Amino acid sequence: MIKWVVIFLFVCCMALATVLDPEFRRLHNRDNSSGGALAALMGDSRLLFAHEFFAMADAYFHSGFYPTIFDRQKPGTESDLKEESHDKSEDAKDHEEETSFLGAPKDWIDRFGRHFYPTVHTHLHGGDEREMLPWLQLSADLDPQAIDAYVTASYWLRTSLNKPGEAEHFLRQGQLANPDSFEIQLELGRIYLNNYSNAFVARNILLQARQKWRKQDAAGAKPDPHTYEAILGEIVRADRALGNLKQQLADMEELLKVAHIKENLQRQIAELKAKLAEPTP
Amino acid sequence: MSSSTSWVTSRNPDANNIFAIAGVVVKEMYRRKDFYVLLVLIVLITLMLGSVSFFDDDRIVRYLKDACLLLIWLSSLVIAITTAARQIPAERESRTIYPLLAKPVGRGEFVAGKFLGCWVACGIALVGFYFFFGIMSASREHTLPFLVYFQAIWLHWMCLGIVVALVLLGSVVFAAPSSNATICFIVVLGIMFAGGHLNTLALQMRGFRGEVVYALYYAIPHLEWYDVRDFIIHNWGGSGLRLVTHNIDWLVWVGASIYAALYTGMLLGCTWLVFQRRTMTL
Repeated sequence: MIKWVVIFLFVCCMALATVLDPEFRRLHNRDNSSGGALAALMGDSRLLFAHEFFAMADAYFHSGFYPTIFDRQKPGTESDLKEESHDKSEDAKDHEEETSFLGAPKDWIDRFGRHFYPTVHTHLHGGDEREMLPWLQLSADLDPQAIDAYVTASYWLRTSLNKPGEAEHFLRQGQLANPDSFEIQLELGRIYLNNYSNAFVARNILLQARQKWRKQDAAGAKPDPHTYEAILGEIVRADRALGNLKQQLADMEELLKVAHIKENLQRQIAELKAKLAEPTP
Repeated sequence: MSSSTSWVTSRNPDANNIFAIAGVVVKEMYRRKDFYVLLVLIVLITLMLGSVSFFDDDRIVRYLKDACLLLIWLSSLVIAITTAARQIPAERESRTIYPLLAKPVGRGEFVAGKFLGCWVACGIALVGFYFFFGIMSASREHTLPFLVYFQAIWLHWMCLGIVVALVLLGSVVFAAPSSNATICFIVVLGIMFAGGHLNTLALQMRGFRGEVVYALYYAIPHLEWYDVRDFIIHNWGGSGLRLVTHNIDWLVWVGASIYAALYTGMLLGCTWLVFQRRTMTL
């Protein structure tokens, strides 16, 4: 008799599970692609870990030379990893000799202890940048809205590691989770322009990036103006590759409105205008 | 001449006693399953992590070394603390300490033997752990920075020496091995995490509190020195079986070893003093 009761209870449990499971999924929004199993398991704590994993990638970029929570950093300093991946100028990147966050040793224990951890500011190079990628992937997995993780990983994949396909695939994942991100769109445009040499597709992607930036600006979200300048700069480069001089001139004039260094751009615009004024044979 | 002979004959049995007690501790370690379980766990977790592919790049290795070394450090601390914490209480509980001390075995020899056994057992475990780590790392990177690995294992072992001595002291102070192990775990992890930064915190505090924290900074054993994982993970020692210039300065290495030896000696001395005052009644 007890055997039949146990079987009956087991069947009841199974039947209830089939009814309740979809309800709970809907309740917790677990079938949302941006969260998945990790979101269900870790909840909001995953955002904390995502941030920590991005910091790990930065620490790897410096081969372990990285401040702890006890070390004081200059206020407003952005991580070198982000700066590098945002295609800043060489001058901005050339900071390997800058003063260390460690400062002068405070006592003999501090002085002696510095022999046991890296104290030289270096950056990964020569393909070793691949070592950061697992942390960036994990960061993006835990927080699909972490745009920096997608953009940074893509930058190293398409430049040092020469893997534009992997970079594009990763950015597409980021795009699914962040359909309004102009940063991801810009990075995607760069892959098509620099790695695939497909200026036509690159321009279309970059135009979408510009549209997304303007949409956010119009909505009062205060998007990063440097990224807007970068988008317009890449559009001009795509125009140049396509050989569309009229379009290039129009885009350059638009870029001139927001450019930080205008002299060189003004000279280029003048040259282009002169070229367009020349009678066609 | 005769006095020196009598000194030698009276000291030799002491060393034998210490080695005999240490031998029993080492045998106990390989009879127990802790080491094997932890080794299998390290191997399984590392292999599982190694099977994950990131961006179709099979040359990514540092995250794997990082995870494996973290597991090795945690496992070695578990072995050191749990092995040392149960030594003296277990002898008292099973009452084997009474015939042992009734024989011509001094309490100092007993403590020294227990320490040596635990320390050697930790060393054997470390060799096993790092052997796997070396194989895993060399198979991925095709290099073996031998000197840096040697320095790292040695420093790790010296650190465990301090930890074992600290736990032995705890085992004669605290009543239960479980509370001793828990307190020692917290203290050791706390020192490794924040010990090197107490001076920074002290400078931020003003007045008496700051001075107390600074005094604590000088007083604690600086276990964080012995954790040189970053050198191994990020290949600061160069690569290949050759003498490299970026390994830890040998003078510094010797200095750290002497510091560990002094601290271990001091902790064992305290253990002996406390243990000597304990009354042993059936």
